[in-house]
Amino acid sequence: MARTAKQRTDIQIAICGSAGDGTIAAGDILKQAMAKAGYNVIAFDVYPPEIRGFGKCIARARITSEQVYSLKSESDCLISLNDSHAIPHVSEVCKFGTVIYEDTPVSTVGEGAHVSSHLSPAHLPYGVAFREISERITSSARSRNIVAVGYLAGLYDMPAEVFHEVISGKFAGKSKELADSVGAAFDAGFQTGVDTFRLHFDRIGASGGKGKQTDLVMMSGNAAVVRGCLDAGIDAFFGYPITPATTIMEMLAREMPKHSGRLLQTEDEISAIAATIGAGYTGARAATATSGPGLALMTEMMGLGAMAEVPAVAFVSQRGGPSTGMPTKTEQSDLNLAVFGVAGDGQRIVLAPTNVEGCYKCAGKAFEMAEAFQTPVIVLLDLYLSNRYEAVQLPSKNPFAENCSKTPRKNASPAEYNRYKLTSDGVSPRAIPGETGRMHTVTGLEHDERGRPSDQPRIHEAMSVKRHQKLLPALKHPGVTISKRFGDKGVVDVGVLGWGSTFGEILEAMIEARKEGIRCSAMKVVMLSPLPVGPVKAFLDDCNEVLVPELNYEAQFASLVTGATGRPVHRLNRVRGTPMSVGEILDQIRQLVGHSGKIAAE
Amino acid sequence: MMNISAPVYLEDKLEEVERSGKLEYRSGTLPTWCPGCGYFSISEGVGKAMTELGLDQKDTVCVSGIGCASRFPFFMNTYGFHSLHGRALPVATGIKVANEDLTVVVVGGDGDAFAIGGGHIPHAARRNVDITYILFDNGVYGLTKGQTSPTSILGFKTTTTPYLNFDQPLNPLMMLLSYGASWVAQAYAGEPHHLTEMIKAAIDHRGFSYLHVLSPCVTFDKTSMTYKNLDMSVHPLPDDHDASDLSAAMIAAQVTDHRQIGVYFSSERPTLSDGLDEISERAKKTA
Repeated sequence: MARTAKQRTDIQIAICGSAGDGTIAAGDILKQAMAKAGYNVIAFDVYPPEIRGFGKCIARARITSEQVYSLKSESDCLISLNDSHAIPHVSEVCKFGTVIYEDTPVSTVGEGAHVSSHLSPAHLPYGVAFREISERITSSARSRNIVAVGYLAGLYDMPAEVFHEVISGKFAGKSKELADSVGAAFDAGFQTGVDTFRLHFDRIGASGGKGKQTDLVMMSGNAAVVRGCLDAGIDAFFGYPITPATTIMEMLAREMPKHSGRLLQTEDEISAIAATIGAGYTGARAATATSGPGLALMTEMMGLGAMAEVPAVAFVSQRGGPSTGMPTKTEQSDLNLAVFGVAGDGQRIVLAPTNVEGCYKCAGKAFEMAEAFQTPVIVLLDLYLSNRYEAVQLPSKNPFAENCSKTPRKNASPAEYNRYKLTSDGVSPRAIPGETGRMHTVTGLEHDERGRPSDQPRIHEAMSVKRHQKLLPALKHPGVTISKRFGDKGVVDVGVLGWGSTFGEILEAMIEARKEGIRCSAMKVVMLSPLPVGPVKAFLDDCNEVLVPELNYEAQFASLVTGATGRPVHRLNRVRGTPMSVGEILDQIRQLVGHSGKIAAE
Repeated sequence: MMNISAPVYLEDKLEEVERSGKLEYRSGTLPTWCPGCGYFSISEGVGKAMTELGLDQKDTVCVSGIGCASRFPFFMNTYGFHSLHGRALPVATGIKVANEDLTVVVVGGDGDAFAIGGGHIPHAARRNVDITYILFDNGVYGLTKGQTSPTSILGFKTTTTPYLNFDQPLNPLMMLLSYGASWVAQAYAGEPHHLTEMIKAAIDHRGFSYLHVLSPCVTFDKTSMTYKNLDMSVHPLPDDHDASDLSAAMIAAQVTDHRQIGVYFSSERPTLSDGLDEISERAKKTA
């Protein structure tokens, strides 16, 4: 695994500290600066549910010159801001990787408490006096994290200017003294790094593959959702705080009022979705955001939305479950709830983006689909996707259509107006309050075409057909990926079928498998309901073996696919609260083609 | 209860009803309530109030939850949203936030409001959402055929309390007053003229208005809130009641030996829409 300088850049940095050390802030400066320098960056932070209280924080950023799709399971560099938290992560540092730590004299700490005593002989150690430098430059130890980032930048030949741009941007609007002091802390760390005699070969030079970029923005999945909402012209948002979806509401709370949009923090998730449906009923583009426990509370309203045929969008970012589960750990175990969680036959559209750019697209398209098909739409995210950062390029022209509603014909007589008229495509023309003469009542009761309660057998059957058939054209909705195949074409040894955030790891594993000579392809399924059964079946037909890796115990997606296609698949399930490792998927692929891992690795 | 002293002829009555204009607010769907139900009086009152206020049907939305009372929107020729059990208020809040030009009238029963939906009332009240909440209180679950409700009296016998109800009933007026509702009143289905005036005033109020209507369930309550009992116990609020005085309203709301009808409390303060507009102005300035 030894590398030489001047190869393509692919370096993963992990910064580990205790809550309150500025770990996540340091990681943020690093990833923003590297994106500015033109590198591809994928970053994901792990933090505890506690605000302070000694919880462990890790900020990881993978900086590459080529496009990659996930973090690596091994890091090339570990910075310890807190040794007791960092020690368990020394093992994730690759051979000849670097470990940077506070240069405390080992004699002053208890045996085994210093990170340096846990390094393997192949780790390259750099002890730096972060605290002392910070105190000398800023008269406070609080800038240790900035000194550490500066040191890292100096040690790896990173360009200092981009860091200064990011730092001054971060402190814009705050006191200039503070910004200057942070800048000085960075410089002091940077110089120390430059002056260090280097044992490693890795360098992250001045510019990445694409040169200095201005149109690439470093963005989290949740931030991309927010951009999608704003570009789609969101009118109203109702939400209740819940990790990991809260930041969607926080960002919208800042942005929406500037565009006369209205946002309300409701008393619970039930009222959040109820108000979203109420607003959708008036013709507004309305949304809510929650996590699994919130979606559990929303299911009754989701059924009402399906029955009353009211547009509504819910962003659902999954976390470890069941119940309160693991609020700050990632999991993909709410698929069943999102797809099936309703009383009665109450299908809705469920979209699960696989990367940050997909979050933007799915967010905007969710509003179009909700309107076009008069239905609730769930955009299913997870903590790993909500909180991970990628350098993305957003379209310069707004890609989302303004109004997709099927409205009643202008010259048609209001007396003929039937809110739930049975039409060839199942979508009835929708009048909204304020339209003359088309008064009607929408209801969660089964109803006839006029909307009057009815439990006649033929009506329930016809309306059930209508409510399901009308969603099928969503599979052809323009401008959004419903499903997509990557890798080898035609018949392959192993096909990997995936959904959501895990698809990045799946792609990486597939690419590695192909390098080993395995005929392999991967397919992502973005629309989980209605499921694109045709393309999925065609993919399964091409694969000798099919592997479905996902972050849940019950193999929820694999069961969905098996149920819809009647084909068996191999399952790979992990519920550790962390993203799937590329290596584990690769091992499974090798096993499925009968390769031994050892031979293949040579 | 009113005594019929002179003969009423169907033709005359029909003509009178047609002339009144209130049929404009009635849909073609006939009410499904039991004959004699107090809710007829309320729906009659709402139609009259809307006629007299000159509300445009296309700009009016009736929102309800689930229960006998919640069937109300189907009988109205306005826009309507028959939503879920207990959830009428948040749905109505969403409607009003998205389009403040609409007149939003929320109706519900005592179970819908104070059992399953109890968590939403304080928030609609404190936010001062500019909607009218007409609560049809019959003290019993009617649509599920006679079970105890949060306003059922102690000792009330129902199918789920065969050995008599032991739960203390709520005092909705006290609750609404302490929640910060900006307009709180009580009316009685057996006093239709007063009821209509109260509905008019409630809709006219800018902000969250709560009208508690005592309304007998003739099918499942033969002992407690009957017309006979209510006719005896309902009295108007004293003439000198000061509706701008919250403390006086709370004292009046604690009178339990008889039921007082009229406006308990009325005040003006910014509505939810006012607040959201102000936030928007502030955001645009800092942008």
